[in-house]
Amino acid sequence: MSKANRERTDVDKAPARAWLMGTAAWLVPGLGHLLQGKWGRALLLGGAVWFCFIFGFMMGGHLFKYDASEQGVSALLQIPPMVGNLGTGLLYIVCWLMGFGFSHDIQQAALPTFEYGWTFLIVAGLLNYLSMLDAFDIAAGRKS
Amino acid sequence: MRHFLIMTAFATLAAVVFGAVAKDSNHERVVYALKVFAEFMVIGLVLAWILYFIPY
Repeated sequence: MSKANRERTDVDKAPARAWLMGTAAWLVPGLGHLLQGKWGRALLLGGAVWFCFIFGFMMGGHLFKYDASEQGVSALLQIPPMVGNLGTGLLYIVCWLMGFGFSHDIQQAALPTFEYGWTFLIVAGLLNYLSMLDAFDIAAGRKS
Repeated sequence: MRHFLIMTAFATLAAVVFGAVAKDSNHERVVYALKVFAEFMVIGLVLAWILYFIPY
């Protein structure tokens, strides 16, 4: 069996629990590992993502969202960072529902750490995607 | 100094996550995390020096 076929079979065999754990890990950083009794890893991974997210806001960062009111390429350019931000799951969704953290004023943009801020917010999401895949693999029995 | 501290924080957080999701044993994970941390720091400093000499 080719490697691609083997991988496809592995994905097909992934139990519903693995998808559940993956979803939990995406929604709340660290929860996927916590539910599987991996306390240490939950603390490390969840802690890193939460810290990155909070630190990003503390440095004056902002979240991205698709804004149809912007014209052409400008609107499309919001999508890649938005996908990164979306990795933080509920943190992003709650901010979106509350309308918090998506805009920035001139004073905020003038902060020397402004660029670092939104970079940390994007990286928080990307790190949580890794954490989510790890939780999925553990639940599927591919990792210990 | 602030920029260096932020870079250190970034390297630490990324190294923790990379180390936690990679490898099989705890010892391998710690070694890998330290390696990732060192790589982020060294490459960051090298890039900073290269960019320092570019006037744009």
